[in-house]
Amino acid sequence: MPLLDSLTEALRVLPGVGPKSAQRMAYHLLQRDREGAARLAGTLAAALAEVRHCARCNNFTEAEVCERCLSQQRDASQLCVVEMPSDLMVMESTLAYRGLYYVLMGKLSPLDGIGPRELKFDKLVERATDGMVQEVILATNFTNEGEATAHYLGEMLRARGLRVSRIARGVPVGGELEHTDLGTVAQAFVERRGW
Amino acid sequence: MSRARVDHETAFLLHSYPWRETSLIVEMFSREHGRVPMVAKGARRPGSMLRGALMSFQPLEVTWSGKGEVKTLHSASWQGGQALLGGIGLLCGYYLNELMLRLLAREDPHPELFDAYAEALARLAGGGAHEPLLRSFELNLLREVGYAPTLDHDVESGEALREHAEYFFLTERGPVEADAKLGDLPLLPGRALLAMATGDFSSPETLSHAKGLMRRLIQYHLGGQALESRRILMELQAL
Repeated sequence: MPLLDSLTEALRVLPGVGPKSAQRMAYHLLQRDREGAARLAGTLAAALAEVRHCARCNNFTEAEVCERCLSQQRDASQLCVVEMPSDLMVMESTLAYRGLYYVLMGKLSPLDGIGPRELKFDKLVERATDGMVQEVILATNFTNEGEATAHYLGEMLRARGLRVSRIARGVPVGGELEHTDLGTVAQAFVERRGW
Repeated sequence: MSRARVDHETAFLLHSYPWRETSLIVEMFSREHGRVPMVAKGARRPGSMLRGALMSFQPLEVTWSGKGEVKTLHSASWQGGQALLGGIGLLCGYYLNELMLRLLAREDPHPELFDAYAEALARLAGGGAHEPLLRSFELNLLREVGYAPTLDHDVESGEALREHAEYFFLTERGPVEADAKLGDLPLLPGRALLAMATGDFSSPETLSHAKGLMRRLIQYHLGGQALESRRILMELQAL
């Protein structure tokens, strides 16, 4: 296959990139921005070689254990489980949490064949039972998949003597009932708490 | 023939796949039109109205149009009245969805199966025993798609099954009186098969025989392909 075609084909691994966009990208890199293309090639190769999963939190890092997991400033008795690195970033920007994290890199998705083996539940159990962690906070999404994930993680971790909590859901802060979607209002009602 | 536009029909989302940058392909199971695949354009955009609404196991009110195989979803709104599934109920729900995805032909209406599915979800959400519910839904589904197993008479002799006799179930045909030369098929008591025929899964004996038999029949009709949700449910229960 000519190199130009191989490049176009290779670019199609990117999400949302079809044959047309891939061709456009290939022309752009070769014609208009050869320097950028070299940088992209170099960085991609380096990232592939260097970036791996943190031995403790499973997030991406270049070290064996990431900086956040090594930090003395964080509360090692709390472990927050999230689906994706982007969820971790959201939790961090709230400034509401000072504990540590575990990133699953996915969620249970039975119809897509993603189960406990694919998500390496055993690695999380090993992390959570290090003797330091006392509370595991399940912050998976409030989708069916996220709920299924939280349910089974909860059962597994509780069985190992850990305190397990789940982030709350309901009407958004500053939200008005009138403008909140019905599903959320219904669930907020079901999960109402003593006041 | 499919009409160009269908307004406000009750449907459940069976599964969805990411499509292009911001869209989803959704497999809907609608009451009057059966299983219909649709494109939910822009459904993965942060502000999409569809984003929160496209949730499995919840009755939705759906409007779509299109003449091709894959329709265009215009709106989906949450109908309410169905509690969210949790725990093992969710996994059972996924199993029901996978069965329907594999066994239902596209745009083949099954209103009675739709009602049975809605009831099964309501019972799963209510924390009812899930085994009888799964067996009865499996049997319902096989009947709806034209694979109804014979459960009340011996397919060799044509005689009605006897409660106290034991039978082999030939996968492609049905029950025959147990006979040594048929080899090592599992023995099924007549009373268990007769109970299944009437949809009565209340006895533990019926339930345990029904489980093996339904698994065998479903596997046969799926051409031996394994069900992902079943594998994952078993892995989760082994944790």
